[in-house]
Amino acid sequence: MQREAYWRGVRELLPAAPGVFAWGLVTGVAMVKSGLSIEYALIMTFLAYAGSAQLAALPLLVTVAPLWVVALTAIAVNLRFVVYSAAMLPHLRHLKPSARLGLGYLIGDIGFAKFSALLEREPDYPHRVAYFAGGASCNWVLWQASSVIGILAATAIPLEWGLALAGTLVLIPLLVPFCRDRPALGGVCVASIVAVVGHDWPLRLGLVAGILAGMLTALSLERLTARERAP
Amino acid sequence: MNESGPGDAYLWIAILLITLSALLTRSGLLVWGTGLKFRPLVQSALRYAPACALAAILVPDLVFVDQHLWLAPDNPRLIAGVASCLIFGFFRSMIGSLIGGMTVYWLLSYFL
Repeated sequence: MQREAYWRGVRELLPAAPGVFAWGLVTGVAMVKSGLSIEYALIMTFLAYAGSAQLAALPLLVTVAPLWVVALTAIAVNLRFVVYSAAMLPHLRHLKPSARLGLGYLIGDIGFAKFSALLEREPDYPHRVAYFAGGASCNWVLWQASSVIGILAATAIPLEWGLALAGTLVLIPLLVPFCRDRPALGGVCVASIVAVVGHDWPLRLGLVAGILAGMLTALSLERLTARERAP
Repeated sequence: MNESGPGDAYLWIAILLITLSALLTRSGLLVWGTGLKFRPLVQSALRYAPACALAAILVPDLVFVDQHLWLAPDNPRLIAGVASCLIFGFFRSMIGSLIGGMTVYWLLSYFL
């Protein structure tokens, strides 16, 4: 049954594969084009496995910015993962520390979205951890394969075709199923507006500010609706 | 790498720091926070995390083109996003919405 759930996770992530692949390619190309050598680009993608943090750190590495700035930037860009892992904590609490560490390493935007979508549909699905492991490890393979191709074939891949857009568009079908009620829609609107307004804030803090503002909005709307319905 | 660029030691340490940061933000709470019990209010808020996170990543990517806000109906990225959304709404096909959105984007970039 565990095995079945694992492969179900893989299968349900696959429709997002073209987007993941395009985004990995773009990141690989960007790493090499910014001036990082092929060896270091490969080391970085396999160790860090954090696309947005890698991209944010690149200009810092190339200009030899102070190391604390590099670390601070990587932490800030990854702050949304703290929110994701908080949401996943209740489902992973019972596992061994090594399993929690490994599953944490596999957390990404798409894997987390698929896991959450499953829990919305089937809150009591018993093999949810295996399902997550399947989707997230599939995402890992797709991402690393495409990053390596991007790194090795950087000069041959034309970025002007809008490849990066494919990585963005794939988020739309992931987002739509979550917009099922007023609180969620309100949260999505506020998260979008704050993220756009905060786009130029340092350390990509507009992103995590948008997420938190959206969550607060959704929560407030949920409470308001509950109060209206109460007798 | 030329001589004025980053050295090997610097790059290794920097990459290890990025790796540590990624591990800390993703696994930190899972490894050391198992004693935490969230209040129901926090749990309710966390249910909205995926929707808000996807929106906060997606929307700026559609309305910013080359670091400039382009919030108008002639922004091909924005139109492609709307098209992708409509296609998914009607056909519930993830691949279809991606191909449709990219096609709209390519056509618009070619003709506009």
